Amino acid sequence: MPPTVLMEWINAAHSLNVHALGSGNGSELCRKKVGGTGMFQDDELIHDFVVESSTHLAEIEGQLLEIEASGDSIDVELVNTVFRAIHSVKGAAGFLSLVVINSLAHSLENVLNMIRNRELVMNKQIVNTLLRASDQLRSLVENVESSNDVDVRDLIEELDSIVRQDPSASESEVINSLEEMVEHALVLDDQSNPPAPHDTAPHDTDPHDTDPQDTDPQYEEIMESKETVAVTPRNVREGGKEPAASPNKPKATDSIVRVNVAVLDRLMNLAGELVLSRNQLLAAVARGGREGLDTVAARVDQVTSELQETIMQTRMQPIGTVFNRFPRVVRDLSSKLGKECDLIIEGNEVEVDKTIVEAMGDPLTHLVRNSIDHGIESPARRAAENKRPTGTVRLHAFHQAGKVCIRIEDDGAGMDPVKLKTKAVEKGIISGEQAAVMTDSEALRLIFAPGFSTAAEITDVSGRGVGMDVVKTNIEQLGGTVDVESELGIGSAIHITLPLTLAIVPSMIVSCGGERYAIPQTNIAELVRVPGSEVEEKIGRIHGAEVLRLRGALLPLVRLDEALGVVRPVDYQLESNATSILVLETGQMRYGLVVDSLHDNEEIVVKPLGKHVRDLGYLAGATILGDGYVALILDAVGIAMHCNLRNVDSVLVNEQQQNKTASEVHRLLLFSNHPEDHFAIPMAMVARIERIKASEIKVVGGQNILVYRGASLPILRLEQNISALYPETEEQNLFVIIFKIQDREIGLVAPTLRDIRDIEMIIDSKTLREPGVLGTVVVDDAPTRILDLVELVRIRYADWFQPETIAQPGKSSHPTSVLLAEDSDFFRNHVTRTLESEGIKVVGAVDGLDAWENLKTMVDEIDVIVTDIEMPRMNGLDFAKAVRADSSTSKLPIIALTSLAGDDDRDRGTKAGINEYQVKMDPARLIDAVRRLATV
Amino acid sequence: MSNNHLNNNRSVQYTTFFCNKAVLGLEISYVQEINRTINLTRVPLSPPCVRGVMNLRGEVVTMLDLRILMGLPAGEPSKRSRNLILKYDGEVFGLWVDGVADILTIDNNHIAPPPSNLSMTESKLIRGVYQAEKGLVMLIEPKELLNTSLTMARVAA
Repeated sequence: MPPTVLMEWINAAHSLNVHALGSGNGSELCRKKVGGTGMFQDDELIHDFVVESSTHLAEIEGQLLEIEASGDSIDVELVNTVFRAIHSVKGAAGFLSLVVINSLAHSLENVLNMIRNRELVMNKQIVNTLLRASDQLRSLVENVESSNDVDVRDLIEELDSIVRQDPSASESEVINSLEEMVEHALVLDDQSNPPAPHDTAPHDTDPHDTDPQDTDPQYEEIMESKETVAVTPRNVREGGKEPAASPNKPKATDSIVRVNVAVLDRLMNLAGELVLSRNQLLAAVARGGREGLDTVAARVDQVTSELQETIMQTRMQPIGTVFNRFPRVVRDLSSKLGKECDLIIEGNEVEVDKTIVEAMGDPLTHLVRNSIDHGIESPARRAAENKRPTGTVRLHAFHQAGKVCIRIEDDGAGMDPVKLKTKAVEKGIISGEQAAVMTDSEALRLIFAPGFSTAAEITDVSGRGVGMDVVKTNIEQLGGTVDVESELGIGSAIHITLPLTLAIVPSMIVSCGGERYAIPQTNIAELVRVPGSEVEEKIGRIHGAEVLRLRGALLPLVRLDEALGVVRPVDYQLESNATSILVLETGQMRYGLVVDSLHDNEEIVVKPLGKHVRDLGYLAGATILGDGYVALILDAVGIAMHCNLRNVDSVLVNEQQQNKTASEVHRLLLFSNHPEDHFAIPMAMVARIERIKASEIKVVGGQNILVYRGASLPILRLEQNISALYPETEEQNLFVIIFKIQDREIGLVAPTLRDIRDIEMIIDSKTLREPGVLGTVVVDDAPTRILDLVELVRIRYADWFQPETIAQPGKSSHPTSVLLAEDSDFFRNHVTRTLESEGIKVVGAVDGLDAWENLKTMVDEIDVIVTDIEMPRMNGLDFAKAVRADSSTSKLPIIALTSLAGDDDRDRGTKAGINEYQVKMDPARLIDAVRRLATV
Repeated sequence: MSNNHLNNNRSVQYTTFFCNKAVLGLEISYVQEINRTINLTRVPLSPPCVRGVMNLRGEVVTMLDLRILMGLPAGEPSKRSRNLILKYDGEVFGLWVDGVADILTIDNNHIAPPPSNLSMTESKLIRGVYQAEKGLVMLIEPKELLNTSLTMARVAA
């Protein structure tokens, strides 16, 4: 119903006022009318009422809590805000004959009135009652159709008893009651002769068929609602501004989005632009030929993108709409559990797609409840542990790399990885062997495993059958990820990452068996193409499961055609004999998906599927491709579940763990200069790899130069510097491995790149040793030479290194001395050689204990300690601790050498007193670090 | 199956179409449009009655095969095959038929109950039978059409 019609109607009611007043017994009249006409039946009005009241009520909770928190110094304006909100609800409900809502709102309003007049001091009890009343009111509004059947007398009585503490409160209202009753009656009376036709469809059960007199003790009270008529027009008018939505929806609030007018204006503008562009397009097409078509196409392209972006904006909502419920959750729960807990909320304004905001409510509630129930300790225990008795839960939303992150942190007890493992083994989630090799962070993630609950006993607070696994599934369904961090005694944090929007998803289009599928980019870690000639070598079977050897690790494979039972047409031919694999990552799971071929990346618009196919687990929806065909969107988690990947995974974990425990592993880049001549470079030294045309390398003044990004890059060719076979044929396209020596970039020609792998360093440093070559390892049964890039550059560009040795100011008295603890002969020799070539004196030791004993005899001579971590007798960490503990050595800088740049035990090293980490195979940085620390 | 439409003296229009040579009819109010799009995308692991999904002006619509729903073997697409796009209970879905025939206006009084020799699946789907000039027309109950197919889908999932 348009607002204007409504206004007329209400005005009519006003004008009838006088007449009705003269007609005598108002209360009689109005009882009869309510009983007879029943619930106001205009769906749209009811709908508007629900929407508006829900908005009012949603805010009340937070405001009440704020009022409570402010204690005696009541913010009257805030109370007024709540009062006005309740008042509006009351008024509208009265107008619509929603008797129960009206009477409850009325009693609530009375209490608030006393608070704002300072006739009543807020206490926890009162706030509790008010909160319950606002909850009840909200649920009544949500189920507005049946609201008149709900019995809320107890609650009303409770509210009224608060009011009765000061009997003067309600008097003023009683006086006016007769007048109001009559006004009220008129509004209802008017329904018998409505100006607009009502919905003809028969309405469901009408609660007013029963006589209100015997069901309604509060009936008199409703009639007291003094301002009913005065308030209603305003309310309804506001309601009328809401965008129209289809009536009869059970939950009106779900189908409505509030949109900033500025955004709407922009949409209007863009729509105008689009029409203009269309006209230009039609004109251009009519003219024939291509003239002008390009410009129009560009225009349409631009307008469409902007339109898309702006429309997306209308779906964005602040995450605060979810966060706002938590002050209440935290308050109620902590008082119920006898704990004290503060809630800090940050990032309320962060905007996320409406669908995500709505779907995050339950998982977040669960997580916050968990934090309080399992995380925060009782005040007594906190005091015993020297913590502030009041715990803190921090809810923080922020944008990061085009995604939304939500962190739920608590400063509670934290989780014990050992206990988690024991529990998981007890429950049969993992085996004892698995538990033994599990890292702490993996153990923490066990809380997400189905059937796992950390509480010693299930409480009614968090253990309600909805476990963390459900939380995880929910978040993954939204395309997000969830992770956990925890430190025993310090606290825990759950980290959730969510996409900004669900509606448009950057995806990879792949095909399999003649159909195309879309896979969201968020799940894709990398793409691997295994050429036909290498299939046998790289793809194998372990315990019947297919696996891909990828950089020394094993990756379980799923063949999409087999997983989906795709039947290929008889004449179907694969485009190439190479195998295309998408490496998919979903939280903990990582697997390769084999498809027929890979196509482009596209931004796809997700469309819902019909009921018949919606429940197929491997599908996340569908999209329409540029050519009008539908492509199904694959769900990475669903496919893994469909194929029971979990089992394969655990097998692989074991195998990989066994590999890890062997000897030192380095990540090497493997390439060949000639099919028979293989080389390796430590990945740590590689800055990047470029693909260039062979003709781009110019020979200038006897040097190979590549003009690259506006500068000339010196290029090394192996065959010109060491004894290497010449590349077989001059390839059109080459790879150039770019690395940095002495702060200068230099490129090495690598005709064929083979792989990047973690390789055990069993190095033969004698047989093929020459300047520029460190030694030989065997990779895939082929001898592979590991290059010493520093030496290689030195051969060619000795002058690069000249200034360095001179520029050593200060400490001229004695050369820098290093104590080197390293158990591997190869590395000890290599590092010694590297350092000594820079004029640094090196004292070698074969393990930590040896080094410690050496150090004690020559404390004054040593400037810097360089130590390996994994060593027999005394490891690097213990050595570092010993150095730090002794007063004579405690100030010495310590550099630790690691095999992989990304080792996870750096924290422990830092705690043990290690100043810096350097990668073993990157001598330039090591030298740099030694120099830097020696002069400090 | 009590149905309001059958009980009063109203005439209702029916879209009639072929399925394995039999003539069937569907109340026209449920039929949104008839098209012959063949750009179907197959949905692996879906129940056999689902032929695939198609793009209907930006919406992804599931296409059902009437033959399978009637307990018949699947048919081959032909020049005359059509998609009826139906909407029932808010769900838009397609029904693949062997060809469309006339639109008939049928007086509810002239509809006879379904013959007792129909198979179980058929008799559920058939609301009644009408004797037209050219032969019998079996009138389909759209509610059962959706329910039967959804049951099949649930079994498959």
